[in-house]
Amino acid sequence: MQVEQERHIKTAVKCEGISKTFETKRGKTYVIEEVSLEVIENEFVVLFGPGQCGKTTLLNILAGLIPPTKGMVVVNGKPVISPGPERGFVFQSVSLFPWLTVMGNVEYGPKVRGIDKETRQKKAQYYIDLVGLKGFENAYPNQLSGGMKQRVGIARAYCNEPVVMFLDEPFGALDAQTRYLMQEELIRIWETEKRTVLFVTNNIEEAVYLADRIILLTNSPVRIKKEFVIDLPRPRDYTSEDFLLLRNTITKMMDKTL
Amino acid sequence: MIVNKRVQSSAAAAVSIFMFLLIWHLATRFSELGNILPSPIEVLTAFFVGFVVPVGTHTMFVHIVWSLSRVIPFYILGSAVGIVLGITMGWYPKAEAVFRPIFEIIRPIPPLAWIPISIVWFGIGEGSKWFLIFLAAFITVTMNVYTGAKVVDPVIVRCARMLGANERQIFTTIVLPSSVPFIFAGLQVGLSSSWATVVAAEMIRSSEGVGWIIISSLDVNDTVQTLIGIVGIGTVGYVLAIIIRGIESKLCKWNKRGI
Repeated sequence: MQVEQERHIKTAVKCEGISKTFETKRGKTYVIEEVSLEVIENEFVVLFGPGQCGKTTLLNILAGLIPPTKGMVVVNGKPVISPGPERGFVFQSVSLFPWLTVMGNVEYGPKVRGIDKETRQKKAQYYIDLVGLKGFENAYPNQLSGGMKQRVGIARAYCNEPVVMFLDEPFGALDAQTRYLMQEELIRIWETEKRTVLFVTNNIEEAVYLADRIILLTNSPVRIKKEFVIDLPRPRDYTSEDFLLLRNTITKMMDKTL
Repeated sequence: MIVNKRVQSSAAAAVSIFMFLLIWHLATRFSELGNILPSPIEVLTAFFVGFVVPVGTHTMFVHIVWSLSRVIPFYILGSAVGIVLGITMGWYPKAEAVFRPIFEIIRPIPPLAWIPISIVWFGIGEGSKWFLIFLAAFITVTMNVYTGAKVVDPVIVRCARMLGANERQIFTTIVLPSSVPFIFAGLQVGLSSSWATVVAAEMIRSSEGVGWIIISSLDVNDTVQTLIGIVGIGTVGYVLAIIIRGIESKLCKWNKRGI
């Protein structure tokens, strides 16, 4: 029982006192101020905040793409100092490799890590099927729609079998209809292949639909304002009373100034 | 559908060329222009006759082969050096700091300005011609490839790092392929530039080649001969461009630019 308990609360991402400052002529400007958070294994955490508040900077620091000015990030017990394959990243601007096919993109991670062709293609095929792109293995990115490109992005990040997935407003550039569909799909994929997810968005509906826990951020500098545990059963209904209530509560607390 | 489109564009090209020749013909026939410019029928007849009856000491075909044999090896060499220098300069800041200033000074000098010095360095034989052709290809290819390696999307690079690529893999799997369209743009411009330089190169001293046809027409005061040289240069340049474009669309299926 004790062992079971410990396994369930294994910490996947932990950061303490993260700050990021930029030197300007008028002195130090804080982008992120003293952010500490802990994410447990297989938890779906949404970092939610208004406009250009620096959420992406925070996510980049957590993923190891940029170093913090102060503080430390630990993923899976190891300090994060540089980008690395145990952390998957899905960028807002899809950023597929345009010269590679869907298969080429998805197998890229295992390929550069030196995994043999047969193993990696089998794995890539699994994730291509999982994101619903069976039959598009040999298509090039410029032949795909926006939603399909993001599916490839998700499959590519998944195929490296990372401990944590970072998604930076991945559906921000999609039209409303495709966006709903992709949210649904993301939950389906995540429920089939559980991972720890850190998801950045400025869309409250998306946040409430996806998250196990929403971390509400303040406007620049970024600080944690409040956390909300969302325990609505999945699949969630955008129009249910509980959904709307949560949506209103969180929206009211959000910083309105820009 | 695609075949239809291709037929359409070939038809349009044929009509456009035919109209050009027709206007040329009418202008020489019915205006004063006829006194200083031979008609297209005369020129094209002479051009095709040139394949059987020698112009100077060789037939047209031999002249073209001579010119190509000068251009192609040194175009390839110049392009190869250009690709290596361009991509290194574009991706590695240290290489850029060392080579860019020198290159920026050499870049605006037209290949023709090198003629005297190339004769001093390489003599009046083939060497100076090769040097000019090499230079023409090298400069344009370097410039294009440099731009290509410079504008590699930083998000794509970050993406590859995140997926576990090391510095060497970033260079071979990201910087290189994303520069390919620029390499081809450079090869395309570089080819026209080196093919055009052949005329200048063959001006130095030669007894064969399409450039020679033009230069020697001055001595014999034969406008028809000048024009068949021009037609030869134009046609061969056009065919070479088509070949490069064909290779590009094979290698860059992912990139719509080439089509």
